[in-house]
Amino acid sequence: MKLITLLAASISLLPVAAMAESKGTVEGIHHWVSESEVNALKVITDKLASKGYTWQDSAVGGLSGANALQALRTRLAAGNPPTTMQFLGYEGLDWAKEGVLRSLNDLYAKNGWDKALAPQLLVFVKSDDTFISLPINMHRQNWVWANKAVFDKAGIAEPKSWDELIAAGDKLKAAGVVPLAIGDEPWQILEVFEAIVTDVNGTEFYKKAVIDLDEAALSSDQMVDAFDKLRKVRGLVDDGFTGRDWAVATGMVASGKAGMQIMGDWAKGEFLAKGMKPGEDFLCFPTPAATANFKFIIDAFGVFNNDDPAVIAAQDAWAESIMDPEVQKNFNKIKGSIPARSDVSVEDFDACAKRSFADREAAVASGNMVGGLTEGFAAPPQFSGVFSDVVGKFFVTDMSSKDAVQALVDGINNAR
Amino acid sequence: MRSTLSLKDRFSRWLPRLVLSPSLVAIIVGVYLFIAWTGWISLSSSKMVPKYDFVGLEQYIRLWSTPRWETAVANLFVFTVLFLAITIAIGLLIAILLDQQIRAEGFLRAVYLYPMALSFIVTGTAWKWILNPDLGVEKVVNDLGWTGFVFDWITRPEYAIYCVVIAAVWQSTGFAMAIFLAGLRGIDTSIIKAAQIEGASLPRIYLNIIVPMLRPAFLSVIVLLSYISIKSFDLVLALTGGGPGNSTEMPSTFMFSATFRRNQMGVGAASAMMMLMTVAAIIIPYLYSELKEARNEH
Repeated sequence: MKLITLLAASISLLPVAAMAESKGTVEGIHHWVSESEVNALKVITDKLASKGYTWQDSAVGGLSGANALQALRTRLAAGNPPTTMQFLGYEGLDWAKEGVLRSLNDLYAKNGWDKALAPQLLVFVKSDDTFISLPINMHRQNWVWANKAVFDKAGIAEPKSWDELIAAGDKLKAAGVVPLAIGDEPWQILEVFEAIVTDVNGTEFYKKAVIDLDEAALSSDQMVDAFDKLRKVRGLVDDGFTGRDWAVATGMVASGKAGMQIMGDWAKGEFLAKGMKPGEDFLCFPTPAATANFKFIIDAFGVFNNDDPAVIAAQDAWAESIMDPEVQKNFNKIKGSIPARSDVSVEDFDACAKRSFADREAAVASGNMVGGLTEGFAAPPQFSGVFSDVVGKFFVTDMSSKDAVQALVDGINNAR
Repeated sequence: MRSTLSLKDRFSRWLPRLVLSPSLVAIIVGVYLFIAWTGWISLSSSKMVPKYDFVGLEQYIRLWSTPRWETAVANLFVFTVLFLAITIAIGLLIAILLDQQIRAEGFLRAVYLYPMALSFIVTGTAWKWILNPDLGVEKVVNDLGWTGFVFDWITRPEYAIYCVVIAAVWQSTGFAMAIFLAGLRGIDTSIIKAAQIEGASLPRIYLNIIVPMLRPAFLSVIVLLSYISIKSFDLVLALTGGGPGNSTEMPSTFMFSATFRRNQMGVGAASAMMMLMTVAAIIIPYLYSELKEARNEH
């Protein structure tokens, strides 16, 4: 009897509860699965909940989002796309060309979001004249992370050129420290190589060679020279770099076993998690460039075409949650990046993030802000793959710089 | 009376076909249809998503002018030959030694067979550490006092593929041993005794009499191991990630990265077709000879 009344009561309550709970559901596929990433995402979904919508999490981790893309392909083929999807690099633009993404022009026009975004960033947010995605954060790729105690002991200051950096490495080696912590994974090596290409030759050359894939620039002497410098950097690496994860390499710098690491600012979280403080225990400075540049990576969300007004309303709420300045601020404090919006104050961020923010302003003004090749913001994957093949092979063999340039040109032409 | 019998007859004739038809449909759709689809994609200009146009053999030309693919093909041959030869040699040796009516044979058998129970991911990760010069064998031997000892194959592109062979051999030797042991148990001991009376030495008995009698066991081992080597994917990913510098790339890892990571679905499909043709070149003559033999026996 008691059971029956309970059942009856719960059934009569069901529709009421559902109505009070949510105006609708936003389902999102993303590849944020680590603890800080999940906590950061919660900032956006809390905002969404305050607008009366429920978040349905469809995280697909692994392989820098390759698994999540697989999930999306399946869902689209089945005619059941999620409400929203996280995009890296060209992914959003590629899907826009397939005609599955909803135009966000009305929302951008209404809220003036494009004015808050750096023009270099719009390349990845806008397909022709259509806004297709909502950037939440910006990572900077060209950072050097150093152990301050090790640097002080060896008497090294922040290097101002790649020659100085290599010289500093030799000093560290003499002091019995591994100068540069790195793994032999091609993408880790490519981060170093593209930093050299940009820092030594400038962003104009980078744009020509890496973004436009201009054959003359690719086969130029500057490229040979960049490989020569990479060969010198190879001399700063220990023998145990095989299969070393980037986070393990960061750990070597944190423990003082190694002097520095060249890695995007996601490495910062590893130092912070060990209770180390920027400026006091570890140093962050950009890779040494003749003219300062800023290599960016953004995470953005796109929403899929739908005719149902309820779904469109849910998408609008999701978009407004992402682009909310307060959300962008709190999200990025946890994630370790800086807000994609340039108009959000970063006063209470840490020293590295502040430097990143100031450098971005300067780079936007001077036109020296470019997308990072390694993470897919310069050349599409079929070409960036060639870069990582050649650079990865060059680093572990005794290939000559001239042969490397030739392999690069042939590989790019083959993939065109 | 007669009609019910024939109905029963008809039913019993149709029953096997009825039972088999669902799996037949599943195989036709799940295997052959998708082989055909992959073949079609390999002739199209597909990049991120399938495109149903026709560009002839363009993707195959592109595939064969990719240095990474050439490395992958060369690696597949080096790996298959070494993996098969070493696994079979060691597996057979252990099986013969275990077959000498020794004590605690059951325990030893389990010890040798145990690696087979691990997944290739576990094997690959463990061997990655064992072979790392700063963590594994080299460091242990150096710490023991032999400071000049160097074993850094996994860091050297020209030797790294042999590290994959070592790990794969470690994993699969027990399996080869088990099959050979079963084969040895099926051999009548009176043959050995008769040969001994004739004055043949033990190595000679094994080499000239026992091993040739193990032919069926050899065939099963070779077929099963070749298929392990062609589909080897997880071991390479866990052990070397295809590195250093793509020197341990295999056709399967190449296919995966082209199709799913580099938006080159056409090239990926072409490489899958090349793998299929390689397998077919081995399996079809084998099946043909087996079927012919079966027919001759009648």
